[in-house]
Amino acid sequence: MTFYLQLAVAGIAVGSVYALIAIGIVLIYKCSGVVNFAQGAFVMLGAYFTYALTRLGLAPVAAVLGAMLAMALVGMLTERLVLRPMMKAPVVAIMAVTLGILILTRAVCLAIWGPDQIAFPKLFPDGAVNIFDVFITYNYLAAALLSVCLSLAFLAFYQFTAIGLKQRCAADNTRAALAIGIHTGNQNSLAWSMSAALAGLGGTLLATLNGLSLGLSDIGLVAFPVIVLGGLTSLSGAVVAGLLLGVLQAFTDGILTPWFETFLRAYTRIYSAGALQQVVPYMILVFVLLVRPQGIFGRRGTERL
Amino acid sequence: MTRSSLVPIILAILAIAVSLMLGRYGAYLTHVVAIAAIGAMSLNLLNGWCGQINFAQAALLGVGAYTAGNCGNAGWDVFSLLAAGIASALAAVLIGLPALRLRGLYFAIATLAAQFIFEYLFKFAEPITHGVSGLLIQPMKLLGRVIDTDQGYAVLAICLLLLTWLFMTWIRRTDLGRAFLVVRENEVVARGMGINVPQTKMWAFLISGFFAGIAGGLMGFTDRLAHPEAFGMGLSVDYIAMIIVGGLGSLPGSLLGAAFVSLLPEAIQRFGEAFNMADQLSAFREMAFGLLIILFLIFEPRGLSAILGKTNVQRMMARFARRPTNPVRDQAKNQPKWRSVE
Repeated sequence: MTFYLQLAVAGIAVGSVYALIAIGIVLIYKCSGVVNFAQGAFVMLGAYFTYALTRLGLAPVAAVLGAMLAMALVGMLTERLVLRPMMKAPVVAIMAVTLGILILTRAVCLAIWGPDQIAFPKLFPDGAVNIFDVFITYNYLAAALLSVCLSLAFLAFYQFTAIGLKQRCAADNTRAALAIGIHTGNQNSLAWSMSAALAGLGGTLLATLNGLSLGLSDIGLVAFPVIVLGGLTSLSGAVVAGLLLGVLQAFTDGILTPWFETFLRAYTRIYSAGALQQVVPYMILVFVLLVRPQGIFGRRGTERL
Repeated sequence: MTRSSLVPIILAILAIAVSLMLGRYGAYLTHVVAIAAIGAMSLNLLNGWCGQINFAQAALLGVGAYTAGNCGNAGWDVFSLLAAGIASALAAVLIGLPALRLRGLYFAIATLAAQFIFEYLFKFAEPITHGVSGLLIQPMKLLGRVIDTDQGYAVLAICLLLLTWLFMTWIRRTDLGRAFLVVRENEVVARGMGINVPQTKMWAFLISGFFAGIAGGLMGFTDRLAHPEAFGMGLSVDYIAMIIVGGLGSLPGSLLGAAFVSLLPEAIQRFGEAFNMADQLSAFREMAFGLLIILFLIFEPRGLSAILGKTNVQRMMARFARRPTNPVRDQAKNQPKWRSVE
């Protein structure tokens, strides 16, 4: 039993970071209709910024906040310089341009920080709390608490403040929003900068769990099963789906993979099941798309036939 | 033989002559570009003409490479390429099945998932693919003769590219080819015109998959190794970049885009070696690639073929092929940069 709880805790910690990243993608999609494949780049860049700032001698809290600010700037610049000139372009061109941003950012990070894994500075103290024999390290605890709190805070901001209302207007109907005097272009920039800042924080938290390397940008693609599962337009759906997928991945890794491997070794010539936990989200994704394309929380989409 | 097929045939003969003169390195570059162009044309049919975004092109190439490798090692001669085409066509139909229910963005994400699942299968199905160590492939046999030089592969790849080009120009003019375009523009209208939309989409996947399989098989034979890392998401992005940089929906564009995307790393490699910057090279190469995709999409969204169209090359080629001037096409050239979406 403890083993299962331990797995669930690890899953929730990683899943809550997924949720944080997925919120960013959903936010951008709702506001500007762009599917942002570059979210993974934002995640990675945020972690590298935090690293660079702590190397400059800043306190951990200041470094994280500074990195989030820098990421907000990066997000806004991306929207202004790259996405705005392409507003009326076909979907595939916009997808390709965000992929271009992903490649470019990865290359810039590779040039500056090199290909090797970097030891990430300690943001949280070592050690663990023990709850009913389940050990939770402070890293996991901090990652889960921070991202869940921030996700909820963001949802509240989106739902209850004046800026959030403007955001929702711009996302809901661009023309109507323009007609009542909302500068939708600025709202787009704001959405991009907020989502980049959230992604940057997510990246920092992931780096404290798994270390800092270029591979961090792959997480941006894992976020896609999350947002499809949650419904592409639902922010709260993204949070729930993120947690769900994180737990599911942890259980796959801890239970399904060993079971599957003993099965394979007994009956076939295949020796290893490989990184099963990395494909399980995508298998679920295909299944969800076929059975319930609007996701768990999404509205019935227009993208269906 | 129609007049318009004259230009590609002459180009192919010239390319063969040039690649034979340029020596081993030139021949190597030629077959790399030619194989990439076959793959780009296959994706262009699916994405540029039929409007189905596919992020799993690398998976299809991989299926082709593994099938061709296994069949070639078993001594299937030329049929190994054919088998690669058929296997990839089946895989493409499988990937395309969700397209019957999903559209646009949702389908694109489904193909993304398919890419990762195939990548996993390449590593997982060890008896067939030899897992992470990769499948060693013997040189290709063509009617009993072993092809083991780059020149040989260059000639073979150019011939197959020519066949692909002729097939693509032909299919574009058939009812099916026109149906692709209507499905891309508006599925409701297509249904109203009596086009069987699911069937049309499946044909697009089948044909696209077949040519992707041929390209993948050739890749396997020229690399002598099929490795799961080689057919990752990055390769899919390369192919999407090819058709967009070249110009969506344009056959010469696919060729130009393939040449551009495959030769750019080589050019930067040479450039870097000349200036002694070898250690920063891979980062620099990726940077140039990403930056060029972004700049292209912002400033010349219709791609390289549109730039060529602005100069007189295309007009000269048209005069050479004695095509009558076409008022519809000329009008299309004066349209605004982007077709409005929706």
